[in-house]
Amino acid sequence: MSLRKLRRLGLEPELVDRLERHKKLSSCQDILVKIHLELLHLTNLTHSDVQKIVMTASKACAPTPMTALQMKEAGVSSGSAPFFSTSLPGLDQALHGGIPAGSVTEIAGPAGCGKTQFCVMLSVLATLPCEIGGLGGAVVYIDTESAFSAERLVEVAQFRCPQHFSSDDAFYKLTSQVFVHKTPTCTDLWNRLQSLEEELIQKRVRLVILDSVASVVRKEFDNSLRGNLSQRVKLLAKEAALLKYLAESLNIPVVVTNQITTRFKASWEGPHHDVPSGDVADGNGAGASAAVDGGYVTAALGNTWSHSVNTRLIVQYLDDKHREVMVAKSPIAPFSSFVYTIQSSGIVLQDDETIHKSSERVATDPGLIPIKVRTMLGQGGGLVVP
Amino acid sequence: MSRHIGSYPIPPYLKNKLITAGFSTAEDLEDVKPVELSKELKITPEEALEVLRVVQGDQKDPSSPDDGVKTALDMLQEEREQGGIITFCSALDELLGGGVPLTKITEFCGAPGVGKTQMGMQLAIDVQIPSAFGGLGGEAVYIDTEGSFMVQRLEDMAKAAMEHCRHIATVENNRDQLEAMADFTVEHILSRIHFYRVHDWVELVALINILPEFLQQHPKVRLVVIDSIAFPFRHDFEDLSLRTRLLNGLAQNCIRLADSHKAAVVLVNQMTTKMGHAGDGQAHLVPALGESWGHASTIRVLLFWEAGCRYARLYKSPTREEATVPYQVTVAGVRDVCVPNNMQDQATNISKEDGESLGDHSQTQRKRPRIS
Repeated sequence: MSLRKLRRLGLEPELVDRLERHKKLSSCQDILVKIHLELLHLTNLTHSDVQKIVMTASKACAPTPMTALQMKEAGVSSGSAPFFSTSLPGLDQALHGGIPAGSVTEIAGPAGCGKTQFCVMLSVLATLPCEIGGLGGAVVYIDTESAFSAERLVEVAQFRCPQHFSSDDAFYKLTSQVFVHKTPTCTDLWNRLQSLEEELIQKRVRLVILDSVASVVRKEFDNSLRGNLSQRVKLLAKEAALLKYLAESLNIPVVVTNQITTRFKASWEGPHHDVPSGDVADGNGAGASAAVDGGYVTAALGNTWSHSVNTRLIVQYLDDKHREVMVAKSPIAPFSSFVYTIQSSGIVLQDDETIHKSSERVATDPGLIPIKVRTMLGQGGGLVVP
Repeated sequence: MSRHIGSYPIPPYLKNKLITAGFSTAEDLEDVKPVELSKELKITPEEALEVLRVVQGDQKDPSSPDDGVKTALDMLQEEREQGGIITFCSALDELLGGGVPLTKITEFCGAPGVGKTQMGMQLAIDVQIPSAFGGLGGEAVYIDTEGSFMVQRLEDMAKAAMEHCRHIATVENNRDQLEAMADFTVEHILSRIHFYRVHDWVELVALINILPEFLQQHPKVRLVVIDSIAFPFRHDFEDLSLRTRLLNGLAQNCIRLADSHKAAVVLVNQMTTKMGHAGDGQAHLVPALGESWGHASTIRVLLFWEAGCRYARLYKSPTREEATVPYQVTVAGVRDVCVPNNMQDQATNISKEDGESLGDHSQTQRKRPRIS
């Protein structure tokens, strides 16, 4: 929109030529970034003429309005569901239907808690036809940690919807509709995101998963070096803006996963110490960082990133088998939490009242919610509670 | 009095001609007629007229009657007559002195998830409350830069607002109010919110440029919400002085808009982490977009979490005292909190704290039951 060329605006051609050649003003952005006086100097025109040019450029760039009623009706008539059901009834109900389409949802939590499992499960569900609750389309899975396993995808499909996946044909369809891209570095990731638009349209993709956004950024940006922190924040904000743009223009849900970090409560001498939470593949869960005395564990990537995502789900441990998913930030759902376990069919909600939920958990800033981690493998009940 | 020609916004080629012909200050152009000037400079009469307008416009007698000067008495009358946008949260209305005021820019800043988008949506509904109930009966423009706007949520809030008003009308059995309800249904409410989705700062700047025209075509618009002003300006800028310049231009345009159309402009801002200085140690959350942005808005409200409850603090206002009130976000929208006695004390303690920096909230997180 903003890069729209001036020559397409219907201004006089000689003027446009002159501006482009001598003054390097060729797009609307170039016009709108300058102040009035500068434009007067550059174009050598009168005050009202310059005003006219600015207004023409503005009209070309500005979006068109819609009333909220028109939006609602468009949503209803477009056929694509506004929410993507996660097949977890409690969670769907809290989120008003499921993961919202057209916005970015983040799942944050410690290693081994089930983020990749969640993503794999959502991939399966997205390929199912709309009649049985899926999105009826392809899935783009951007994997930065090499955690995606096709075997697990097939296993979840088999156990979750046995009636649908009863023949080899169904499995073939499923696996040929999930496109996995491995992007082990930040540059790879950024390049992939920039070229995503064509792919999404061509392959009729209905779900984009980025697992995880934190790992590449934390590997490559050392926060203790000066300047790196602001660069990291900028890159993340750019990625967020691009993902949101893709989500909205194609009206699809985008799911990203995030890691955890330790925040120190007492005064410290430097920036946050990002305790590595392990880039190990899920299911392993070894050596998740324990909360250090005087600090607590929370979602990584900082305050600006917390602003950038539209919905934040936090997963954490309750005990050896049970985990909890909390709706920490959502424009449509209040703070709520659900207990689940990971089984062969993926994520399964537990309604069992005997499981002690962290129900005294208080709603607060989603960037600062403390998260429980697991200290060591096999240690039952040995949790460090912040 | 005798300003140099070069300082006026006249195109360079005209300036050159003027200077070559010997006109170097504004005084030299006094009493010169357009046709005379055009003959002397060999320019068209229209260009000459424009030059003279620009230069002589500056010289006009400042005490001329149609100059836009108002006495304070006129303004007092205007201020008394114009309402604010009342919310369903009486504590907030108190805080702001009668709701969000018209013709001014109000900024809501806060940490993620504290309810800024909810506040924006609530105000877009509240501006439409019919005058029979004490509202403005206007329309709203909602500019979304973040993608957090969800029509389903708006519907829920609209329904609750409508039911609330209907309840009042039925209880008071007021004919005007009951009649007004016919126009205050969920569909009507949704149809009076004009939504723009903006993807980057260029689109935002362009939109604010053409918004005056839109508002002229829709004279009932009384509220413009920009949610959020921070997001498009936080990642594309290497040159911070360019950013400051653009933001200032935007703020000026918003002020002009608010004033000429008697509308309230509400800006939603994010927070950023500022590393503590030596001796202070901790990181503080401060409103984003820098120090100079603080001057853009007339009224600033900070929304924050404290011990599991949401609070709004009035941080900058030309008319009201600094205070902090609790509020909550429910299914129905932004509402008052029914506060038990001990929390009330805590709220007054908070407003007594001085200094505007918020420490790391984790320190005061206590496990308390959520106020419902």
